[in-house]
Amino acid sequence: MPDYRLAKDRAFTILVLALAAAGVAPLAHLLATVAVRGAEAIARAGPGFFTEAPAPPGSRELGGIAPALAGSLLLAGASVAIGVPLATLTAVFMHEFPESRLARAARALAMSLLEIPTVLVGILVYSIIVVPMGRFSLLAGGVALAIVMLPYVATYVERALGQVPRTYREAGLALGMTRAQVVFHVAMGVARRGVLAGFIVGLSKALGETAPLLFTIGGSRAVVQASPLCPGDAVPLLVFQLAQTPYENWRLLAWGASLVLVASVLLVYLAARLLVREVRL
Amino acid sequence: MGQPREDRLFYYSLLPFAGATVAVVLLLAAVLGYYSLPALREYGASVIVGSEWRPSEESPREASYGLLVPLLGTLATAAIAVATAVPVALAMVVATEEVLPPRLRGLLGGVVDVMAAIPTIVYGLWGLEVLAPLLRRHVYPHLNSALGFLPPFSCRAYTGASYLTAGLLLGVIVVPYIYAIVREAYRSIPSKYRLAAYALGATRYEAVRILSGMVRPAVAAAVLLAFGRAAGETVAVALVVGSAFNPPTCLLAPGYTIASLIANQFGESFYYPLMANALYLGGLLLLAIGIIANVAGLRLLAGARSRAGL
Repeated sequence: MPDYRLAKDRAFTILVLALAAAGVAPLAHLLATVAVRGAEAIARAGPGFFTEAPAPPGSRELGGIAPALAGSLLLAGASVAIGVPLATLTAVFMHEFPESRLARAARALAMSLLEIPTVLVGILVYSIIVVPMGRFSLLAGGVALAIVMLPYVATYVERALGQVPRTYREAGLALGMTRAQVVFHVAMGVARRGVLAGFIVGLSKALGETAPLLFTIGGSRAVVQASPLCPGDAVPLLVFQLAQTPYENWRLLAWGASLVLVASVLLVYLAARLLVREVRL
Repeated sequence: MGQPREDRLFYYSLLPFAGATVAVVLLLAAVLGYYSLPALREYGASVIVGSEWRPSEESPREASYGLLVPLLGTLATAAIAVATAVPVALAMVVATEEVLPPRLRGLLGGVVDVMAAIPTIVYGLWGLEVLAPLLRRHVYPHLNSALGFLPPFSCRAYTGASYLTAGLLLGVIVVPYIYAIVREAYRSIPSKYRLAAYALGATRYEAVRILSGMVRPAVAAAVLLAFGRAAGETVAVALVVGSAFNPPTCLLAPGYTIASLIANQFGESFYYPLMANALYLGGLLLLAIGIIANVAGLRLLAGARSRAGL
């Protein structure tokens, strides 16, 4: 009888480890492929990978992803400028007036934004910004990415504020500070690591997104675009569009761009990990 | 509650920002609803239950926009994703919490974090260039010849892009979400239960069976939330699903999901009268799926948490 139980336990352990290995295997293969193919692309393109536009389709040259890199930087700036203040102040509101009806609604809708397909955010921004403006623009993409990062930043900041010990707040209030002063001068200071981690995680989520950009930034990648009011390109959008072409040089370029994406995401993850112990993406 | 006047000012100055967050979601629903109305008015319920997608540049009367195939494709691929990801994610939770030596536990946790951090477009590229050719060459022919009498495997897979490929790729993508939710619930089980199980002489398998009963609501919540994620994923699916209007009765055939249909056709849809409106309606359906999965999942999770607190 005991032998039977032990055998069952043994079989269970083996099954668990096998399934867990099956879960890790795709990631390992993906990282290895991105590293090998991406390095191949960057080696073949040389330093031009970071300074040139993609070469003509089907040519031997690779060219580079400079317009996409510049576009992603502009998108990062625009989405942080719009999304971070909006998310932070929403989080402050949810934390300071948790019982108000608006705070409850904001919390529920921010959580559901996490689950709403991001392609719909793209459609929304297309309908209310791109169409009235009459053209695609990096600014419209920045608005879409700001909406994408909003729930991540808001939940992180609210949690960070919630972890500030009551005594700090009470000390501030006892000194005669207003609630606003307590939040922005005391609580934010104490919670700064968690708040900053929220900004970083939100930005990294936004920069990896493709679907909100499909109908907002236009994907013009011939030249480096310096104005946020013009159509532009972004690294994930370049991967999506070049991967679907039959041209070998463009597909390789997509792998190179993927390596840049994965490397920057991993760097951001490490940075956030240094700030707070547990990172949830 | 020292300075009520300044506090009220504080309240009102934050109001617009929280209001804007609420407004974004409401505006999304309103915009999708407003633009899908013309399609509903012209075609009635056949936009949802019809299965023919025949755009026409001439007039909306000659066209037909039925979303049934992409809708079923969305549900089928998300179901495949959840069905494959749940056993794997649960095994990874048990491995981190019960089986692996402590040093490897943190490593596996970190690996899962990395999985969640990688942009889905990179999964899509990998799916297109690695997973799909692999499945087409080494898996689908065998599946077809061994199980071809079953309708889901009855067709020949000419390309690697298919409902099944998309579902499996989505499974890889949602593993970390399921893992994170279930692991948090598993960790919140008071340790006295685990100690009691082992004190009674339970083997590891028996202890896990007892403890896993306590995280069942969290697993159900994770299934719902992962289903919602999988249903809404766009670019990774668009690269591997094949973009064809075959019904998902055969999973080896190339197909469509609502999100990948929008990704592929929304950009050109304005050349065809009412086609964009039909796609807005598709978006509305996606929004409904996402919100239902989210609300139901979070409610289950909240129930599970409050019970764990007792």
